[in-house]
Amino acid sequence: MKDLESQLRAALRPAAPREAFTKTLLAQISLTRQPRTTLRRTAWLTASLAATLLLAVGARQHVQDLRNRESGLEARRQVIEALRMTSQKLDLAYEAVKNQSASETPGA
Amino acid sequence: MTQRISWLWLILLLPSLAWTAPNPRLLLPEFSALAQKATESVTITLDPSLLAMAGRFLDSNDPQDAATKEVLKGLQGIYVRSYTFDQDAAYRESDIDAVRNQLSAPGWNRLLETRSRKSHADVDIFIMTDKNQAIGLAIIASEPRQFTIVNIVGAIDLEKLHKLEGQFGVPKLDVDLQPAASSPKK
Amino acid sequence: MSNAEEPAFLDAQLKKARLGDRAALAVLVRAHQHSVYSLALRMLGTRELAEDLAQDVFMQLNAKIASIESSQHLAFWLRKVTSHRAIDQLRQRSRLQTAPLEEEALSLSVVDGGDPLLHRHLSNLLSQLTPPARAVVLLRYQEDLDPVDIARTLDMPINTVKSHLKRSLDMLRSNTPGTDLTQRTGDSL
Repeated sequence: MKDLESQLRAALRPAAPREAFTKTLLAQISLTRQPRTTLRRTAWLTASLAATLLLAVGARQHVQDLRNRESGLEARRQVIEALRMTSQKLDLAYEAVKNQSASETPGA
Repeated sequence: MTQRISWLWLILLLPSLAWTAPNPRLLLPEFSALAQKATESVTITLDPSLLAMAGRFLDSNDPQDAATKEVLKGLQGIYVRSYTFDQDAAYRESDIDAVRNQLSAPGWNRLLETRSRKSHADVDIFIMTDKNQAIGLAIIASEPRQFTIVNIVGAIDLEKLHKLEGQFGVPKLDVDLQPAASSPKK
Repeated sequence: MSNAEEPAFLDAQLKKARLGDRAALAVLVRAHQHSVYSLALRMLGTRELAEDLAQDVFMQLNAKIASIESSQHLAFWLRKVTSHRAIDQLRQRSRLQTAPLEEEALSLSVVDGGDPLLHRHLSNLLSQLTPPARAVVLLRYQEDLDPVDIARTLDMPINTVKSHLKRSLDMLRSNTPGTDLTQRTGDSL
């Protein structure tokens, strides 16, 4: 037996469109995007292009590394902030308990 | 006829197909309306992947970072919502009811309830345990110009969290943090 | 999850697609067309409109592929654009809000072990929801998004999402014979 939500999930599973639709769509997309052309270059130009690409890849990797580092440091900052706030609120509770204990202590 | 009977059987609603195991993660509202009024809003959502990422950037050689790393072990999420206002009574307790109501669900036990006349702060601490292990912590702190909700999900080591308080410059909490039997609800 | 659905595989295809690789873009289209098409069909009600919308969405993707950062972003973007455009279309054609779904939309899902009549009935009831509520229900139960993600996808406050879910489930339940109105939903909102 399944509840309403399980039945909804079963009733609403995604299904494929007609294959003809997909083929037409991909054909239209291909008309708007030019295939990468293979350029004929001299050996010198090919080498310089390769060098430029390597530099670009290296730079891109460097930028990606910097971004990863920024994300990691931000996550670290948020963890510390979250735990600091948790401690702060626990401290509020501590103060209340301490004050209550003090007021209940005879002669306090 | 057979189809109708089978249909009725299939549509039978079970009393509650809610979690068969308690879920320590709270659904925290966006508090959009309150956020617009607040002078400061803090929204922290740290899922397992972000916690892991943060862990990689905590320096084991630094005492605070090392203690933090210890606390993070076994945690699956830390979620914080905190709003500060520039005047008293800018929010209503009913605004937080959506969260409080979740803490009435099976599995959650109130660990501590404090009402301070001095600071006018109310702090409720809830814990969820499974096989005598804390798997969820929730704190609701209501102050005149601020409310804060903290939800920590995972195998919380209360002793390590307790020790961590000293690292952040606040006194250690000397109350017994061992999960108690279910406490009477408000 | 099949290899074609794994995030790492799709991320790799996305990288190639951003550089102009048509085959890679075709892989991405095939990976997501079920979701986009089904969402469009269940929102708009006819195959013709759904195919038009799905085509527009993927053509827009083609133009904006460079701005898609990850496979996760891609899924989010497709759902967002499809949902918003469907809602816009329905608002412009208000008569379609209560029009019954075409046969294909009703019998769209073939589920092993399920009750096809029940599924048709539920799908039909879905067409009676307002466009935003319908989108919320589809994103929840077709796309398996949680309320927070639904709110982000539809640029809708989360409380509104939850309200739509609750009311929609109540309506579905009360219009489905044999349901017990006193039993609450098992889904945590």
